[in-house]
Amino acid sequence: MESMKDNTNGQWIILSGLVISLILIGLATLANQAVIAGYHSSNAALEFPKESIRELNSHTRDNARIIKDLTLHINSTSNDTVPFIYEGLFKNYSEQIEGLYALHGETADLTLVSVNSTNGTVNTSDIDMIFVNITYFDGNTYYSSRPEIIEVNE
Amino acid sequence: MNEKGQLHTLEGLAAALMITMTVLVISQSTMMVTPQNELAVNVHLEQLSSDALAVIDTADSGSVEHDLTECVSSWNMMEATYPASSLCDLDDELSYLLPGVLYNIELAYFKDQNLNVKKVIINGPPGENSVVVRRFVTITNETVNDAGGGWNLKEDELRVVEVRMTTWKV
Repeated sequence: MESMKDNTNGQWIILSGLVISLILIGLATLANQAVIAGYHSSNAALEFPKESIRELNSHTRDNARIIKDLTLHINSTSNDTVPFIYEGLFKNYSEQIEGLYALHGETADLTLVSVNSTNGTVNTSDIDMIFVNITYFDGNTYYSSRPEIIEVNE
Repeated sequence: MNEKGQLHTLEGLAAALMITMTVLVISQSTMMVTPQNELAVNVHLEQLSSDALAVIDTADSGSVEHDLTECVSSWNMMEATYPASSLCDLDDELSYLLPGVLYNIELAYFKDQNLNVKKVIINGPPGENSVVVRRFVTITNETVNDAGGGWNLKEDELRVVEVRMTTWKV
């Protein structure tokens, strides 16, 4: 019993155990942080409506051109003016796209601002620029382009 | 006095070095990849699926046989019955672009103020970690006539169709 009091080797074993346990705690904390960081970054990438906004913008641009072609086609057999026909078609388009976005809990708003022509006439195929207000909101992310200037004479 | 202290000092130094190096290596790692994370897989799948639809929609006519607008315009208005698809061209192109991925396709559109959602490609029930991507196309009487579809649109009518794709891996 007396000899055990003088033997101090046990202190090293206890100290080593303490150090190893501290290292293990540190490693576990770091690994846990990495998993949490991975979850949040992935979740943010999934939640952010990047494609919705991009699609709203690019589809509106494409449709401004489609509506222009359809407008000129209708105008060739109708007495209505080009701006009048264009406004009617664009309103129809915006109602459909707003309804389809609403299905996913997103608010999209497309408003035609003006139909423009560099030479001042819009009764023929001279219309070359459309101004549209685009707004998007999904409860977290807000996007607005007021106005979006769309070249349709390409 | 004995020489045990020297050995203990060396051991302590070696242990301190090992601990320091371990902490440094871990803390200096700029990114710790956790591929087990299901959400990371979903992010990848969503991007892949979205890109596949974008490629079909925007590719030149020489790159793909039929673009997305042509595929949708050619629909005969008949819903798919598993395992048959009612949009075969789109099914062929997607199966080429998404190897190892299963997908269902629905078309959503408004007709006379009423919402219609039709299944056109069915590959089975979506798995637990499925993602949904979508793309919009606009069809007119002209595109439908060119593609030989059954949409029956008026001359002055345009219809926005949401191509809704649910994808999952098995």
